[in-house]
Amino acid sequence: MLLAIILMQVTSGLAQAPARHPVSGKVTSPDGQGLPGVSIIIKGTTNGVASDVEGNYTIEAANTDVLVVSYIGFVTQEVTVGARTQLNVALKEDQKVLNEVVVTGYGELRRVDVPGAQTTISSKAIEKTVNTTIEQAIQGRAPGVYITQNTGAPGGGISVNIRGVNSINGSNEPLYVIDGVQIQGSVSPSGSNPLSTLNPSDIESMEVLQGPSATAIYGSKATNGVVIVTTKRGKSGEVRVNYTYLYSLQTAPKSLDVMSLQQYAQMENEYKAIAGGTVREEFLDPSLLGEGTNWQKELFTDAGMQKHQVSLSGGSDKTTYYLSGENLNQEGIALGSGFNRSSVRLNLDNQARKWLTLGANLSFSQTDEKLSTNQNSIITSAIQMGPQIAVRNLNGSYGGGTVTATNTAEQFAPANPIGLANITTNELTRRQFLGGLNTTFHILPGLDFRSSFNTTISYSNSTYYLPTYQFGYQKNENATLSNTDGINTFWSWNQMLQYDKQIGKHHINAMFTHESQEYAWKNITAQRQGFTTNEVIDLNAGDLNQSSTAGGQGTGAMESYLGRINYNYADRYILQASFRTDGSSNFGAGNKWGYFPALSAAWRVTEEPFFNVPFFSDLRLRYETGLTGNQGSSGNIYGGLTTGPSEWGTSFRPANYPNPNFQWEETKTNNFGINIGVLENRIQLEADYYIKNTDNLIMPSALPWYMGTTGSGSVSAPTVNAGSLRNKGWSFSVNTININNSAFKWESNFNLSHFKTTITSLNSATGFYDRINWWMNNWTQRAAIGESPWLFYGYVEEGIFQSVEELQNSALPADNNGEEYAIAENSIWVGDVKYKDINGDGIITGDDQTYIGNPWPKYFAGLTNSLSYKGFDLSILITSTIGNDVYNYLRNENSNPNNINLGRNMFVSALDYAQLTTDAEGNTILANPGTTVARIASSSKNGNYSRHTNKYVEDGSFVRLKNVTLNYNLPATLLARQKFIKGARVGVSAQNVWTITGYSGYDPEVGSYVGANASTENAAIGVDYGRYPLTPVYSFNIGIDF
Amino acid sequence: MKNKYILIGAFAALAMFTGCSDDFLERPPTGSLVDANFYKTDAQVLAGTAPLYSVVWKDYVDQANFKLGDFRGGTVFRAWGDRDDVLFNTTSVTASNTNAYRAFYVVIGQANLIMTNINTYAGSDVSEAVKNHALAEARFMRATAYYHLVSNYGAVPIIEDNVAILNNPVVNRHTVESVWEFITRDYEYAAANLMSSAIEPGRLTKWSAEGMLARTYLTRAGVGSTGGVRNQEYLDKAKDYAERVITMSGKSLLSNYEDLFLFPYDNNNESLFELQWVYTTDYASANTMVSQITYSNDIANGDGWGGDISASWWMLSLYDGLIDKGVENDPSDDGVKPGFTLDERLKATFMLPGFVYPEITQTVRNAAGVESEQDLVFPDPGATAASSYANIKKYVVGKAEDLQAKGSNASSQRYPNNTYMLRLAEMYLIYAEATLGNAASTQDQKALEYFNAVHMRAGLPAFEDALTWDDIFEERMKEFAMESRAWYDLVSLHYYNPTKAYDIINSQDRGLFVVHPNRMPNPTGWTFAKTSWFTERMAVANSGNFQLAIPASEVSQAPWLADEPVTYDFGD
Repeated sequence: MLLAIILMQVTSGLAQAPARHPVSGKVTSPDGQGLPGVSIIIKGTTNGVASDVEGNYTIEAANTDVLVVSYIGFVTQEVTVGARTQLNVALKEDQKVLNEVVVTGYGELRRVDVPGAQTTISSKAIEKTVNTTIEQAIQGRAPGVYITQNTGAPGGGISVNIRGVNSINGSNEPLYVIDGVQIQGSVSPSGSNPLSTLNPSDIESMEVLQGPSATAIYGSKATNGVVIVTTKRGKSGEVRVNYTYLYSLQTAPKSLDVMSLQQYAQMENEYKAIAGGTVREEFLDPSLLGEGTNWQKELFTDAGMQKHQVSLSGGSDKTTYYLSGENLNQEGIALGSGFNRSSVRLNLDNQARKWLTLGANLSFSQTDEKLSTNQNSIITSAIQMGPQIAVRNLNGSYGGGTVTATNTAEQFAPANPIGLANITTNELTRRQFLGGLNTTFHILPGLDFRSSFNTTISYSNSTYYLPTYQFGYQKNENATLSNTDGINTFWSWNQMLQYDKQIGKHHINAMFTHESQEYAWKNITAQRQGFTTNEVIDLNAGDLNQSSTAGGQGTGAMESYLGRINYNYADRYILQASFRTDGSSNFGAGNKWGYFPALSAAWRVTEEPFFNVPFFSDLRLRYETGLTGNQGSSGNIYGGLTTGPSEWGTSFRPANYPNPNFQWEETKTNNFGINIGVLENRIQLEADYYIKNTDNLIMPSALPWYMGTTGSGSVSAPTVNAGSLRNKGWSFSVNTININNSAFKWESNFNLSHFKTTITSLNSATGFYDRINWWMNNWTQRAAIGESPWLFYGYVEEGIFQSVEELQNSALPADNNGEEYAIAENSIWVGDVKYKDINGDGIITGDDQTYIGNPWPKYFAGLTNSLSYKGFDLSILITSTIGNDVYNYLRNENSNPNNINLGRNMFVSALDYAQLTTDAEGNTILANPGTTVARIASSSKNGNYSRHTNKYVEDGSFVRLKNVTLNYNLPATLLARQKFIKGARVGVSAQNVWTITGYSGYDPEVGSYVGANASTENAAIGVDYGRYPLTPVYSFNIGIDF
Repeated sequence: MKNKYILIGAFAALAMFTGCSDDFLERPPTGSLVDANFYKTDAQVLAGTAPLYSVVWKDYVDQANFKLGDFRGGTVFRAWGDRDDVLFNTTSVTASNTNAYRAFYVVIGQANLIMTNINTYAGSDVSEAVKNHALAEARFMRATAYYHLVSNYGAVPIIEDNVAILNNPVVNRHTVESVWEFITRDYEYAAANLMSSAIEPGRLTKWSAEGMLARTYLTRAGVGSTGGVRNQEYLDKAKDYAERVITMSGKSLLSNYEDLFLFPYDNNNESLFELQWVYTTDYASANTMVSQITYSNDIANGDGWGGDISASWWMLSLYDGLIDKGVENDPSDDGVKPGFTLDERLKATFMLPGFVYPEITQTVRNAAGVESEQDLVFPDPGATAASSYANIKKYVVGKAEDLQAKGSNASSQRYPNNTYMLRLAEMYLIYAEATLGNAASTQDQKALEYFNAVHMRAGLPAFEDALTWDDIFEERMKEFAMESRAWYDLVSLHYYNPTKAYDIINSQDRGLFVVHPNRMPNPTGWTFAKTSWFTERMAVANSGNFQLAIPASEVSQAPWLADEPVTYDFGD
């Protein structure tokens, strides 16, 4: 704030008082409507007025005065008064963001000069959907960008893949540049979202840089694409105050079909009849039982979300400011989740001297999240919790399993998920300062020197407290509290020389920059157990003898030189060359510096004199090529030691094999693009085709287990540059203005994209990488040469064995000598699963596993329709993903009828397990030959339920009505009756309302695994493990301008 | 206006050089040490070998050890899980297989790199004795890992220097004979270089290595045997080493068998090699096997997942007098009359209804469900029960409060007690078996004396008959049940008499049964009955499933492991 005051002081001009006369007039929009609230200021002073509701104004001005007429969303006009007393001004809509100048990496370019693939998402579009975090706004709007929400939990993380999978083991998330602050995107395994501290309402525009000519300027951070986020800035004129209130109702998902109490009792009785055991007394006659507890209904509930947003914008023609504040409070539809954000932002711009501009962006935010639902597998537990168990006992305590002589199974039942979600504390608080100062010296016309200093300082604190509890048999006798504090700092200092000049038909834009960056992080974790009370959640209340602490820190730096020349001849030929060199602390002496050039050209055929086809308003061919890089993480060149406790004090062991030759990863991209505009650009088509070859992939060396690099206490494999992959893809988008007359406007945008990622080499011809999730029965996804990364790996199922004869004629599991196991009831029998003999050796072994699914889509698309009629705006967004597979692990786990012996509930489909009977000749056959569920057997040589098979792989394609929004702007005539409110809007919207999919789980949009045990290296992709679903959200909003 | 240019120029000059110093891009880790700066003192070198006693073994000793060692060995069974191991169907994807394989090679990889680091970075401040001792510790651990590898998998790749093959990790399997030679050489180096008394309590000594040589030579005597005859030279070496350790190590048998597992028992005078776990919040450095084998949370700390892990019927039938044979040679009569055994190892290893363990606290509930605590009395399954378990006692140490009373602590998956890898008692039985050698029985006085040292320590009367292989084998089963030895004894037998090894396994009842005390409390006998509806009682072992297959994903990324094994070049 202090800064703001100083800046104001600098600019208060000297008041002079020449002869003045009244000037009045009307300010109108292009369609002739009077514009209320327009700022009319005498240039060089703070004297000004605002237009009334009909657009009329009156001001005292001298003949030499210049009126500055400005209004948000319109081009500011300057008019010399002269002798006139009547001065009408027709403002033009500001097309700056869309048509004239676009923000790009390290600067701005005229839209016409942009030679590469880049997509703009404006604040208008962002405001149409209910977004709690900024990346949500990109979904369906940018071609080439594949977005999946990893968890539907409030504030939850999102995967953003721009143009395919660019790394096998590293992050695939783009670089976000927020007003110059570089934040590397990441998927947090805890399910929280590193970008959720930012308020989407503050965003003016987002630029998704995809092609190499735009991304290569970010060199070593740009392989995954770059998203440039520009926040709103003040507009000169009278202060404009805007208040928006949003209320959303998030609805509970439709319950999955699990067994009712009657079905459960029947299942248990049938199981005991087959496997042995005494029927429980209360289950003797299942028909007398009721429905039992519906745990999903208990867990999920409709939940509210509220957002208050206030912004102030204004200033003189020398100083402008944008000040905003927000509070978002989102409850989760599942117990144990929630998200709360408060943020403030102040953006300032000041013209201190004719040759000096100062600017500042300051934002501060705090988020509070509840993370119990994901971290404690609450959703999975709710599906598996038996209907015979009550949520609460009669005395009010939480229910749980009971164990008696005839019922020993419930000792294995999950702990009451409702109880657990309610009593567990799992909170994450983050505070972040993000901002920067910049100053620009206008040295000569067209030549600017700009220096900017940007920083983020973020602090996080998490509290996890699992109290003691007893839910029936399930209990925890030792409470645990774990507190983690982390502090991250980042700064960059950037010096940029910019030159922009039009000489005749030649337009030159050049930029040279030096940049240094440094980051540091430090974490502290402290934990205690042995709490005697659950009332005080503080480490001091725990047992000192059961305490532990851990730390960790790191630092790194980068230094860069970069430059770009953009040349345009007669808006016809556009050439751009850029070069960046990055020096990184991640590399050893000989490899510190990486070089990232890019070259691009565009030819606007329509500007050629010979091309005279009035039908075409724009025809542009583009080609771009360039290198981007990836620098991996720090420490790979050093042989670090890990500490651990031992009988004799702290022990030290090698943590990793150092690789002093570690070097840059490089991605070479060739991009071919075309833009076509017809019918005066009422139809605009943009298409791109790209081939990206990534070499020197940074990843841990793929080594056989005998190298000792896998498992507890192992020396991690060295991080090497081995392997390469290729992404080929295309995207195209069409923007159309279907109808445009003074009353009714209908615009559409459709985009469709495709990519295919292929691993072309690894460090050995037979090597591959597996992601094995031991907590999901060793679920495996594999990245191997010639395939896309992380394909599902398992067996192929060919139905259920129907007869002994079929068993005799089929390949069966075998011992180490290759001898098939016996065909017998206690071995492999009718009702077991038949596996496909993939390698054709006549037996079933581990070698008969193959790729059974692909988590990546073939196509993804978005369709937006915007309609406006008078004050009404209707926007409809449809998103779609086609051709990706989802592994329904929930169905795998909960279709196993043997689970009844673990006291677990399951899907109703498990009731149709293979039932054996004998035919007239005494042969064993199936009573239900059509079933796909294997027989009940206490153990199975055939591994009926322990092998992952294609039976649980489902098509994850979907078409979703993502959002429908209807807004209504109150007419000026209505508002004219009072002076206070200058504009008002009301709106309703519905999100995720309608989904067409063949997928049988809650929600086909699965994303990557987040939750307990996950890390970025092992996170499964496209596996539904009880993911927090996205559900329909209904919203109401009201906005008022003062 | 001039000022403007001066200002801009000065500013630009200042800014352009930010970060330009060489140091700016040099960032060695600030949060951890690096290898080149470590191994500079005796204390650092010893701190560098300490991890070889715990974390590197974790993936084996968490669960795979007893699943391979005792489930496959037949001493212990599990009714509702790990049936692959119980029924000898362990596959190339079974968790016990993959975890064990990985863990052994983690031990080898760490041992090799630690040796490389000590040789590269240890400076003049490190004494020669400590340096050699540390290298010997690493070679001892590597040999122990290979002992387990060759026993479970047969031919496996021998790796002495992981760094040398990081860029081209193609190594063939080496023959079983080569691996045994490699093991022997490592242990011999260790015996020559380890300190003769522990440099710190629980550290390896020369006698640990000589004890391992006794075990190694006894098994090796059968490797490559023809006609079931063991190599006499190796038998003699086994006997010599056993004798040396018994007479010269200064170690002695504890007088009470039970004391071997009565916390705190770590590093007692009978112990030759233990894995050293500590109570810590670090998962990998604490004993987690306790959580897996403890029968109930009633005697644990939020864990206790071994409710269906039990002594096998076969195991219980080895205890003299327990499963009373009312009618000679009629199995249907077994266990009908209440039986009882004098063998004190039973109560120290498995729990029968009515056994009382004052060292462990048990949570019990009255009819109204109100909880209280008492000294552990293993519960009666009730007169009508058709199945129950003789759950595991060995290594089960109880609740936090029980350990706190002994100056230690415990919490879920965090236990401090050590895992025996070699006890002196084994030397006595190795001596007896090596003396017996290829004969059918022996009357050798010293062999009998040593056998009886172990036998009588269990509270049993002296054994006075001629000693046969079966006597020694059954003694080993009872002495080392739940110490992950049974399977390795069968492997040892399998080298020279595979048929007998299969016969033993195929005769072991591994099915569910029920134990009823003759009275509660303080029973004086127990009846045993097999659970009639439980049909999967017997394993079928043969040459096709005796050895473990190398894990499937290992073979697919290293297909050369399917090639015929080659002889290892020892360079001499």
